[in-house]
Amino acid sequence: MIGTTSTKEGAPLAGAPALSLEHVSKVFGRRRAVDNVTFDLPQGAFLSIFGPNGAGKSTLLRMLATLSRPTSGSAKIMGIDLKEDPDAVRAHIGLISHNSMLYGDLTAEENLMLSAKLYGIQNARERVDEMLEAVELSHRRMDVVRTFSRGMTQRLCIARALLHDPDVVFLDEPYSGLDPHAVEIFDDLIAAVREDRTFVMVSHDLQKGFATCSHALVLARGRVVAYAAKDDIDYDAFEALYRRTVGMGVA
Amino acid sequence: MGKDGYRSPQTGGVLDRIAPVVTLIGALLSTAGFVLAFTLAGPVNGATVNGVEVIGGEMVSNQLLFSQKIFYFHMPVAVTSMVMIGFVAYFGIRFLQTRDAAWDERARIAAGIALLFVLATMFTGEMWERFEWGVWWTWEPRLTTYFILMLLVFAYFVMRASFDEPERRATFASVYGIVMFIDVPITFAITRIVPSSVHPTIFRTDSGLSPDMLLPLLLSLFGMLCIAYGLFRLRLRAQELDERVEHIKEQLDEA
Amino acid sequence: MARASIKKPSTFAQYRTLLAKDLRREFRTKEMLTAMGIYALLVLVVYGAALSQTSNQFDILQMAAGLLWALVVFTSLLGLNRSFAHEQENACLEGILLVPLDRSVVFLAKATSNLIFLVVVEIVVLPLFYFFFLTTTQPADTWPLIWLPLLVGTVGIAGIGTLLATITVNSRGKDVLLAVLFIPLVFPLLYACVAASTVVLAGGDVEGVFGNSLLLAGGYDVVMVLLSWVLYDYVISA
Repeated sequence: MIGTTSTKEGAPLAGAPALSLEHVSKVFGRRRAVDNVTFDLPQGAFLSIFGPNGAGKSTLLRMLATLSRPTSGSAKIMGIDLKEDPDAVRAHIGLISHNSMLYGDLTAEENLMLSAKLYGIQNARERVDEMLEAVELSHRRMDVVRTFSRGMTQRLCIARALLHDPDVVFLDEPYSGLDPHAVEIFDDLIAAVREDRTFVMVSHDLQKGFATCSHALVLARGRVVAYAAKDDIDYDAFEALYRRTVGMGVA
Repeated sequence: MGKDGYRSPQTGGVLDRIAPVVTLIGALLSTAGFVLAFTLAGPVNGATVNGVEVIGGEMVSNQLLFSQKIFYFHMPVAVTSMVMIGFVAYFGIRFLQTRDAAWDERARIAAGIALLFVLATMFTGEMWERFEWGVWWTWEPRLTTYFILMLLVFAYFVMRASFDEPERRATFASVYGIVMFIDVPITFAITRIVPSSVHPTIFRTDSGLSPDMLLPLLLSLFGMLCIAYGLFRLRLRAQELDERVEHIKEQLDEA
Repeated sequence: MARASIKKPSTFAQYRTLLAKDLRREFRTKEMLTAMGIYALLVLVVYGAALSQTSNQFDILQMAAGLLWALVVFTSLLGLNRSFAHEQENACLEGILLVPLDRSVVFLAKATSNLIFLVVVEIVVLPLFYFFFLTTTQPADTWPLIWLPLLVGTVGIAGIGTLLATITVNSRGKDVLLAVLFIPLVFPLLYACVAASTVVLAGGDVEGVFGNSLLLAGGYDVVMVLLSWVLYDYVISA
């Protein structure tokens, strides 16, 4: 994978952890939304971030997705420093959130072509066809996104996020607003496009999040309460810890 | 936050300790300036405002003479308000550079004091207009641009009230504080750009102000600047204490 | 599955892509254009009522430029308000910020598309304005020069307006907030443009007033657009 992405600028370091955070904080005034977070995540892992509302999960994810800058600390994604070269990081990441980030008045194909052009994908046409095929939307490619159901929009969202072959994909509450059937399709799709990519998901749903992950992290009041590989975790103990954390509530 | 040698601005230092004294000096100076405006400065022929004339004992119009004294209050207050808006822009730039909430707080407080002085300017200007020019309002260039300046300061606060998320509010306010400063040099220079203006051009080498007028004017100006400084530091300190109390309360709640 | 082969496009190519997106969206939905067009027409109708009692007693030429600019300012306010609504709807702007691109490209593309839409509306409205209010009068020979202040003014409006609309789209009560922030800020520009337009329509010291006012408006444009361009990164990332 590393070799094939060598055409991207700021080539990632082979063997570098997918994520490497050191004392990352987001502070404004006296409010510490994210407080001294440190952890490493190996490439190819699936990390689920749990925590009560207002624990700083989304803030952390937005910082990692380069949408907001950490106040202090350093974060590296695929070995590239987030603060020093955010543009290089951007070439390696994708984001799927509960907001579709799609233009309702453009067709599925136009939305994907827009992204492809902005990223500078050379084989854009081919890549768009493939992604539409993968998310089973080829038959609706000429329809404007406004006419899509929530589930279809979410599938197109996946296609959009993976168009430029990101090494790290962020999922921000991807299940919100999806019915159980759509959730199933979504999970299958994620598994299908998984390959050797690293995934980082923020979710409310403990069971779902735990089932898919390889690493789990619990955040409360901006701090890391627990972080471990799934194999080292006893689910019952983990659930108890999570319940206690949620009980701590919002600071 | 100690990175790159940057230190967050502090309160409680020497700048705060001298604040009450400076305020007092400012009050004394502007009072002195105001008194001197009546005792020392000669009366003025109000009919030819442009190119102010000192006439000594020779009076042209008794009615116009007295209202001219507003000028010794009006001009220093106006200049002070512009200086404060300049500080709003400066603090905005500092905020965007550092992302430190302390700078945004300073910008907000500076804008509050600017508003106070802007209102005082508008009020004294309004008296001036009524008694010197005999109208309540006219779209004269200096007046108009200053009026716009007032609206900009209003807009600054309306905008702050429209955002809940503190960092976003601070960023937007800083940006607006910087762009709104553009109107200050325009207001300042408008009497030069549009010569039809009835406002005299004060800051020039041949301003036509005799020493007996210049002294009270400068005293008032310096006094007003001192008052603005004192108000700023005191307000800032009060704000900081407020926040500390809030913080302690929160910690007590959590415990 | 074939891998994506990526070569970072030039800044100009990204600018064109974003601009093309805006134009395609607008010419498909005609959201901004119809809204602005209808609004402008209605303002003309209101002018008709407002001036109905004065027709023969005063010289409309002296006032025409002012009326025209009032129309332009309020119509653009309406359009600017809408220009970010669809970017906000599904957090599309965030999607664009995820792409490695210079933030000021987003500003330039949006300001350009706004400028194009405003100019299109002006091209429709100007003849209507003439038709309704100026056919009975005799504008000065210099009247064709009016396009110059119109263009200079519209560039400034699109520039500052794009910056401010990016701010207000995130706020509560965005329509009012944009007006509150926008009108005082463009006032000097408006003042200069009205002066320049009046002098070409009604005649007078064309060389002196027209040149000076345009220079003033142009200077204001340059300062404001540069400032908006520099500050845009902070605004859009907030």
